[in-house]
Amino acid sequence: MTVSRRTFLKGAGGLAAAGTAATNAQAQDGTKRLSGRANIELSVNGESVEVEVEPRTTLLNALRNHAEPALTGTKIVCDRGTCGACTVMVDGEPLYSCMMLAHEAVGREVRTVEGLSEGGELSPLQEAFCEHDATMCGFCTPGFLMSLTACLERHPDATREQIVSAVDGNLCRCGTQPQVVAAALAARRGGAK
Amino acid sequence: MSTLQESPPSPAPAGKKWIRITQVVDGHDVEEWMLVDDVEGIAWPARESLRVLNTDIRRVDAPEKVTGRAVYAHDVRLPGMLYGRLLLCPYPKASVSLDLAPALEVEGVEGAIELDLGGNPTGYLGQPVAAVAASTPEAAEDGIRAIRAVYEEQDWVVTFEQAIAEDAPQVSSRGNIVRPGEDGDLGEARAALEQCDAVVEATYTLPVQHHVCLETHGMVVDYRGGDEALLYASTQGTFIPGREAAQHLDLAPSKVSTTVQYMGGGFGSKFGIGAEGRAACLLAVQLGRPIHLLLTRSDEFLMAGNRSGSHQELVGGATADGRFVSLIQRISKLGGIGGGSHPSGRPYIYEPEKHHVSNQSVMTHTDSSRAMRAPGHPQASFAIESMVDELAYAIEMDPLEFRLRNLNDPFYERQLDRAAREIGWYDHRYRTKPGPIDREKATGIGFAVATWGGGGRPACQVEVRIDPDGSVVTSVGSQDLGTGTRTYVAAITAEEFGLEVAAVTARIGSTDYGNANASGGSTTTSSLAPAVKDAARNARLKFLGRLAESWGVDAENLAIEAGGEVVDRGGDRRVRWRDACAELGATALVANGEWQRDLAGNGIHGAQAARVEVDTLTGELRLVKMVGVHDCGLPLNRRALKSQINGGMIESLSYALFEERVIDPYLGVQLTADLDNYKVAMTGDLPEIEALIDDGDDRNQVIGIAEGAIIPGQSAIANAIYNACGVRLRSLPFTPGKILEGLEALRS
Repeated sequence: MTVSRRTFLKGAGGLAAAGTAATNAQAQDGTKRLSGRANIELSVNGESVEVEVEPRTTLLNALRNHAEPALTGTKIVCDRGTCGACTVMVDGEPLYSCMMLAHEAVGREVRTVEGLSEGGELSPLQEAFCEHDATMCGFCTPGFLMSLTACLERHPDATREQIVSAVDGNLCRCGTQPQVVAAALAARRGGAK
Repeated sequence: MSTLQESPPSPAPAGKKWIRITQVVDGHDVEEWMLVDDVEGIAWPARESLRVLNTDIRRVDAPEKVTGRAVYAHDVRLPGMLYGRLLLCPYPKASVSLDLAPALEVEGVEGAIELDLGGNPTGYLGQPVAAVAASTPEAAEDGIRAIRAVYEEQDWVVTFEQAIAEDAPQVSSRGNIVRPGEDGDLGEARAALEQCDAVVEATYTLPVQHHVCLETHGMVVDYRGGDEALLYASTQGTFIPGREAAQHLDLAPSKVSTTVQYMGGGFGSKFGIGAEGRAACLLAVQLGRPIHLLLTRSDEFLMAGNRSGSHQELVGGATADGRFVSLIQRISKLGGIGGGSHPSGRPYIYEPEKHHVSNQSVMTHTDSSRAMRAPGHPQASFAIESMVDELAYAIEMDPLEFRLRNLNDPFYERQLDRAAREIGWYDHRYRTKPGPIDREKATGIGFAVATWGGGGRPACQVEVRIDPDGSVVTSVGSQDLGTGTRTYVAAITAEEFGLEVAAVTARIGSTDYGNANASGGSTTTSSLAPAVKDAARNARLKFLGRLAESWGVDAENLAIEAGGEVVDRGGDRRVRWRDACAELGATALVANGEWQRDLAGNGIHGAQAARVEVDTLTGELRLVKMVGVHDCGLPLNRRALKSQINGGMIESLSYALFEERVIDPYLGVQLTADLDNYKVAMTGDLPEIEALIDDGDDRNQVIGIAEGAIIPGQSAIANAIYNACGVRLRSLPFTPGKILEGLEALRS
């Protein structure tokens, strides 16, 4: 028998799940519940978020489809680790959330676009995105912001090359990339040079 | 659309005039004559007196987008909502029999339906045949996989060569080659070639390109029984999905509302609700629960439309003094089961003295092409701009000079000259012949021009409302595709009242507001902006009239100055905006506006230049710089306009370097149905890009820009590659392999 990610997880049952294994009974609202579901606790933007997910549920889908209230700022575009639209930060690292299982994020600190503006105040990078017209349709924007936030936290004086490299895994179809790079340069420590 | 009598029903009374307007009645566009105030002389303010417009304006919705608060159709989550998925036929043509029962056994699956093929086999690779709704997207996928589908594969064609072969399987009852057309005199064009000093014969091809909207197609149908429904649609036309969905929900069109607050890109592919929308409606009716059906990325590649491919055979001739004398062009549009696109049946932009142009659609069992940003124009541009370039070098004339002679147009002259200066053409060493290939890195420069309409029409009904508390709200149903619609709706109103943009609220993207046309063909701004201006102007006049009455002064003497201060020039009264609004009493003031012909123009140009560097050992191509110079009459928001020009250039350079739909001709399988195998330009692939607004265009009218910017890029790049090293690439994309082959041919 070959072991796929799916059969492996099925065998491993709750795996890293903290919490109760779900029953396979009818839920109160009459909808069928899926077997293998478990309640897990994620830490998202500094808050505890409880989600009921299957072993195969990605972090991306947990945030978008299961968190209450929904965390849909993180976008689904390719769902296979190519486009970067679902980029979040996990323990400070930028990661494609479609390529991480929700269970794997237990015990780690997840940061999403909803967590970038502290107390309702836009971060310098968000502010620069507004100022430099780095949003068009806006669907890729959260992913770009997370890649760049991670980059600028690690390299407050990032060079243009470091900035371009940080977002080279983020796809934009409207063509905002020049404005995105300009915004990131402006948001560096000391601003654009 | 209903037809309308050509002339108005009666003569217009003094101070009034008739205009034709498109109304939505029961979800259908109906053209009507409407009597409106005759505002002859309505004009945009002179450019130097503009305070808000024609400056760099921040997008009003940028904060929503950078915080993740902007809700797209994909993001909608409703109580009891189910996720829909489609089953796509894996063959280009097959008869299908389905057993849905196993899908219904899958945990989480609540419903499954077969899509009606009318008893026929499927018509294209990836045609959807069934749909499933389940409590999670994962369970819906399980449901799709559980369907027992038996396909009986039938003979098919997926490539141009297969389609035109003798005894080829037929795609339509009319055959595989349809809609032939021609223009010009073939005999005259041939005779004219005889007197040419240079004749070039060449075939140019472009592959199918995908739109790659980041938000895939689809919608959320909120229907739980009863006689009303609400759609959250990812669409380019707020008023389209409701009237289409109504048929499948069996509701009156006026009972189906649509909201499009944000949408993740369309580029021409998102007008109707499509098979995915129909499936969502049918599932909602069957289950009485809201359905979220947005395509997966791979489904999107197979069934959500594309830019048609193109196969063009050209013969062109020029005289030694640089006259483009004759052109014979045979165009095949490759639009799958659709027709494909090519602009008009005449030579594109250039006007050779004699021409014969014939065109036809060649059909295959693949997804139908759809409109894609400047439908047909990039294809037309690549063939003609390559031919023009080839002719120029054949007579050893500077290709810029050859263009200027044959275009003979002040717009192109100004824009090409600007592009040439910015790209460094006048200091470039090789201008009448390509550079030598005994250099490690060969640098080259190329040019191309664009054309588009971009005019407007009467379609939008705008309301401006001033509340006694001083707030100003402008509302219209129009959608913002990321182009900046919401921002200029607020900005035009702000300009009229001397207010800051932030002081005006723009409400758009809903069928609850006034009608608006769909965003296609760069017609949104030219249709909407005049109606906003008209509504704002009417509101201002009404407002001042009301104040004049209450103050007992002459309305002619009242004016609104910067900051919204109302001034009575007859006396010395100056009242702040809020205080003036407070005088409205308890009721808000509302005024409406329609399209005004004098505020919109038509016809744009544009010139682009590319500088490339070719590695003569590896064939690697580095795009060094691109310059685009574009006109659009009066720019409303310079910052958003530059973003549009950037975007057009990036989408076209991506087509030039990377994009190509590949279908295995033996297996009929699409090899590029995901973003790993369908390569799109990323940030690291981009050159320095200079987006320039041609301020030499002094037309004080607004015109759409989106299409123009995407047309000439790939042509300029091809011409730059030739200029660099003498390799003429006549087929997109320009891969290192093709360049290397060309270099080898030159060396041997």
